[in-house]
Amino acid sequence: MARSRTHKSTSRRFFDVVHVPLLLWALALVVYGSVMVASATLGMDGGEGMLLRHAVGIGVGLVPLVLAWAYDYTRLRGWQGPLIALGAFLLLSPRIPGLGYTAGGATSWLAVFGVRLFQPSEPAKLIFIVVVAAVISSFKGRIDKPAEVFKVMAYLAAALVLILLQPDLGTGLVFIAITFVMLIVGGMKGRYFAYAVLVAVLATAAVLQFGLLADYQEDRLLVFVEPERDPTGAGYNLAQSKIAIGSGGLAGKGLGAGTQSNLHFIPARHTDFIFSVLGEELGFLGAVLLLGLFLALLVTALAISTSSRDLYGALISAGIIGMWLFQILENIGMTVGMMPITGIPLPFMSFGSSSMVTNLGAVGLLLSVWSRRYGT
Amino acid sequence: MSTYRQELKSRFATLGIVIVVVLTALLLRLWMMQVLTSDSFAALAENNRVREISLDAPRGRIYDRNGVELVTNRSALAVSIDPSHEDVRVLLNRSRNDDTADDPTRRELDDIFGEVAAMLEMTPAEVFERVADVKQEALRPRVIALDAPMDVVGQLLERQTDFPWVRVEEIAVREYPNGSIGAHLLGYTGAISENEYASSDVYAGYELGDTVGKTGAERQYESVLQGDKGWRRIEVNASGRPQGTLDEQPARPGNDIRLTIDIEVQRVAEEQLAAAIAEARRQGYTSTKAGAAVVLDVATGEVIAMASAPTYDPSAFLGGISTAEWEALNAKSSEYPLNNRAIMAAYPPASTFKVVTALAGLETGIAAEGTTYVCTGTWTEMGKQWPKRCWKRTGHGTLSLRAGMKHSCDTVFYEIGYELYKRKAEELQAEARAFGLGQKTGIDLPGEVAGRIPDAEWKKEFNRNYPEYQMWLPGDTVNMAIGQGDTLASPLQMAALYAGIANGGTVMRPHVLEAVLDSSGAVVRVVEPEVFAESGASEASLGVIGRSLVDVTRDGTAKGAFSGFGIPVAGKTGTAEVKGKDDYAVFCAYAPADAPRYAVAVLVEQGGHGGSVTGPAARNILAQLLGRPIVTIRTTDVSR
Repeated sequence: MARSRTHKSTSRRFFDVVHVPLLLWALALVVYGSVMVASATLGMDGGEGMLLRHAVGIGVGLVPLVLAWAYDYTRLRGWQGPLIALGAFLLLSPRIPGLGYTAGGATSWLAVFGVRLFQPSEPAKLIFIVVVAAVISSFKGRIDKPAEVFKVMAYLAAALVLILLQPDLGTGLVFIAITFVMLIVGGMKGRYFAYAVLVAVLATAAVLQFGLLADYQEDRLLVFVEPERDPTGAGYNLAQSKIAIGSGGLAGKGLGAGTQSNLHFIPARHTDFIFSVLGEELGFLGAVLLLGLFLALLVTALAISTSSRDLYGALISAGIIGMWLFQILENIGMTVGMMPITGIPLPFMSFGSSSMVTNLGAVGLLLSVWSRRYGT
Repeated sequence: MSTYRQELKSRFATLGIVIVVVLTALLLRLWMMQVLTSDSFAALAENNRVREISLDAPRGRIYDRNGVELVTNRSALAVSIDPSHEDVRVLLNRSRNDDTADDPTRRELDDIFGEVAAMLEMTPAEVFERVADVKQEALRPRVIALDAPMDVVGQLLERQTDFPWVRVEEIAVREYPNGSIGAHLLGYTGAISENEYASSDVYAGYELGDTVGKTGAERQYESVLQGDKGWRRIEVNASGRPQGTLDEQPARPGNDIRLTIDIEVQRVAEEQLAAAIAEARRQGYTSTKAGAAVVLDVATGEVIAMASAPTYDPSAFLGGISTAEWEALNAKSSEYPLNNRAIMAAYPPASTFKVVTALAGLETGIAAEGTTYVCTGTWTEMGKQWPKRCWKRTGHGTLSLRAGMKHSCDTVFYEIGYELYKRKAEELQAEARAFGLGQKTGIDLPGEVAGRIPDAEWKKEFNRNYPEYQMWLPGDTVNMAIGQGDTLASPLQMAALYAGIANGGTVMRPHVLEAVLDSSGAVVRVVEPEVFAESGASEASLGVIGRSLVDVTRDGTAKGAFSGFGIPVAGKTGTAEVKGKDDYAVFCAYAPADAPRYAVAVLVEQGGHGGSVTGPAARNILAQLLGRPIVTIRTTDVSR
């Protein structure tokens, strides 16, 4: 707010509204992802069709990117009620008879006449971020009353209940991560974090104790703890993914030359396990490149968050960082056995339009925050 | 406001640290997996995608001395059952546990195997019995039917979804162009047993389920015939479906072997042995079932023919023999057709042993060609309380050693035996051993027995628990002198003895292998004749024996058998007494007597007399060898 600014040329004005590095890192990731999706779907039945769908997803994603960019994010505050309604509808929609579609044990798809359209929980993440940003920003940068914490937790709990109806454990974890990152930036006192961790541990124990998880979810968690539990069942995916990544070595087996990938040992290799393909075919160097791009993207987003003219914009940016960071940790982490296996995509890399459109929309939101950093 | 900004900065710093920590954690984990321990993962990935298939080497073929095929290979359509298939495995596990009440019921077997069994004209129980065969490798498909009719195979293939555990595959099996001819000598093949698999170096590198020689030449020359397995490395996908060949090492076929056998002589020997048994039955020896015949080349020790009765069909073992068939072949009532009696059984040589006694007498100077003896039918030299009888109860009167041989007079040889006993030098035993009796000839076939030449030391050891029977008595030597008592020899040893006499006292080592050939037919190894035993008998003594043996076929105990043969034959009849059984008929000979080429021994268990049962068989075998007509001889000669 107190920053100095100069208007010397139109070119400088261009850079005021266009954050070139952010677009560059996002573009680089989208291209990198497309190359990996191409490699993973190569030789699959209808592989070309999938690549086309991936491209269409990118194209469609440009719409929310441009729209969010052009729209003054500060005006979103005025839409709090409708956004909550839309978010709730999106999370509930798969459970509405005739609109849901079940895959992989979760009814997390919105479908019309049995045709899968998109996964509503993906755009719901962004709506959740915007809504919670408005709530937290109303606390003026300090969260020191329990009532404030409970209010935020109430939003989170409501979202989690709707998500666990599907049920989609992975997405639920993403919402929790988003909330925590936003609370950090929002100024929550340290002791509340301690309480929150305690509650989370107790809740996890309760969930396991009372069998609130679906069998397949419990299996995945147990396999994470003990991978040799069932090498051909749930643990098989993890074992094969680790073999793929480990066997990639330093420089990888070459694009399209991954045996684990091409011989179908890696499950869902173009979606959730795209990193296994990358690790196998491009090796440690390819993985370093990817992590480097992610680091650049996240640091850029952090810079945008810092530069925001208000706390609202900073919180929106922080929520997006939390979303990406957790998905990167969870997705890559599960392929190397650091995290339990859940079905969440790797941002910009995994095949899947819902995720791509959401992430590009998130880029648009960041650009909106950036381009309005000086106020009007 | 500025403190708030200040605070916000530290919160962003916190967030920045979280970002770096998360990405660094991932990076470290990837460094560990992809750089530090990449090799073990690479091995696992390789193991995932590569399957090695073993390529069986075609087993070497077996030829006779003239290049006639005795054993070859052919491919056969085998219907097998995959024991690792879920449906089958469950039944197998239940039949193998200790709880017999848990065994699959007849009805369950019928439900699963009923239809397939009916197609193959088997019962479900027979099918399951083959599947449950523990002699096979656990995961290898079990052959239940070989050479099933094409229409049945077609049906099985069409209905693969109904019988997912059925496999139809082409496998290489042994083929026997001459049927069961030479079965004992050639031997049969079968899946390697667990004992063989676990044992010595012969089977190093073998896999369970491999086909190996079980008996005969197939076993003796296993390492020659086996060849080297090849392998093919194929790439498979996650479902195990082959994607292509990565690398291949073709199998090296086993070497072929050429035997010393002449298939035509072998055929005649088996026919004549069977005919001799039939003739014995015709003469009233109804217990007779078994016998053996051996033909040797006297100059080289080559086995020209080796027959054993009863015989069996080696093709019964193709694809694994059924338990019922196996039990039938090993039942007491079957007279053990798998045994090669020519080398695995030892019999009293009876009067054919008299050549040894005569030689001992001649070499020690106790007897000469013209030494005369008086046979009254009863011999009481050892004392009136121990009379010995000649087979001719009325006695032979006064006769020479040579005539004693011709008529097989026991008294003559009692006399010589008693004299030898009195010298206490065990010269009779020495003479027998000088011709290789009482020890294995070392023939290149498995399972040979040593026979027995008894002596004082042996008797003491044999009766170590019965002190009163330990002393070597005059009767022991006297009994031995006529080839009875504890003296035992295999038909091969009897043939080798006569071959040695024919060969100037040198016994060549009997052998069946002539040469090893590689798969292109080039000779890689030739077996050179070697000396087995050097008797040291003088030419003069051997001359006496030769002349006496010619007398036997000319106008002695084998006169009837050899009448009209046209070529002089030196032979000796024998009739062995075996306690509790009918007499065993024996005949040994060599021919032509003036320029010996072949030695023959024929023995028929419980077949009666050598002159009328085994003599004619030996004649016809020699006829085949020497180009004489094969005739049916009926004599009533009951001499010994």
